[in-house]
Amino acid sequence: MTTGEAPRAAQMAVVLTESASDKLLPVATLVSGAVAMGMRVDIFASYWGLTAFLRANATAPATVSPGHGPEGLELEERLRAKKAPSWRALLEMARSIGEVHIYACSQSMDLLGLTKEQLDPMVESVSGVATFVDRTRDASVSYFV
Amino acid sequence: MTESELAPAEGRAAQKRLVVDARGSWCPGPLMELVRVIQEEPAGTEFELLSSDEGSRKDIPMWLEKAGHQLVEMTPESGFDRYVVRKTHD
Repeated sequence: MTTGEAPRAAQMAVVLTESASDKLLPVATLVSGAVAMGMRVDIFASYWGLTAFLRANATAPATVSPGHGPEGLELEERLRAKKAPSWRALLEMARSIGEVHIYACSQSMDLLGLTKEQLDPMVESVSGVATFVDRTRDASVSYFV
Repeated sequence: MTESELAPAEGRAAQKRLVVDARGSWCPGPLMELVRVIQEEPAGTEFELLSSDEGSRKDIPMWLEKAGHQLVEMTPESGFDRYVVRKTHD
């Protein structure tokens, strides 16, 4: 390369604002597919998306998005019966085969009164939104969940 | 995932073949398991991936083509598919 710049790998950006299991599992599945395809993934956990990464919630039972109560719980039951991996386990697997960065939104940290120590070690660092936007400015795919 | 080493096929010089039994694993589980073992093993290794996930039928050949590895064989079995894959480069 004449510019001296390293070629950029394809990149996926995910802004996660939800904490229900029926939102997190599809996100973790999507991230898994992306790293399998060699994409780098950057996740910005904001609002309730941040509470999903609380250490204190690591063993909490699955939750369902509002509006999907009974059938949502039935699906969760079915997933358990089929021994499907949790969103957390999927995300860990994705991290083990590819490049996944998870950042905690600094504004949400402040709003929810959280410290970095309260978060799962999967969360790499606390980041401002401008930094996240800058990191993902070349992402070819981006999702807001 | 269960992995076991099988005796190399006759006529092939001490080639390693690993069985990756991903039956029961959901999309994209079987692909993830294949990507992981391909990362870990040297070029020349063969893998026998067992998957009951329907998505694998498109995902696995597509990934292999992109990654430049070889799909030696794809055989439907009862309730699952058998993919024989060869890692062609590091």
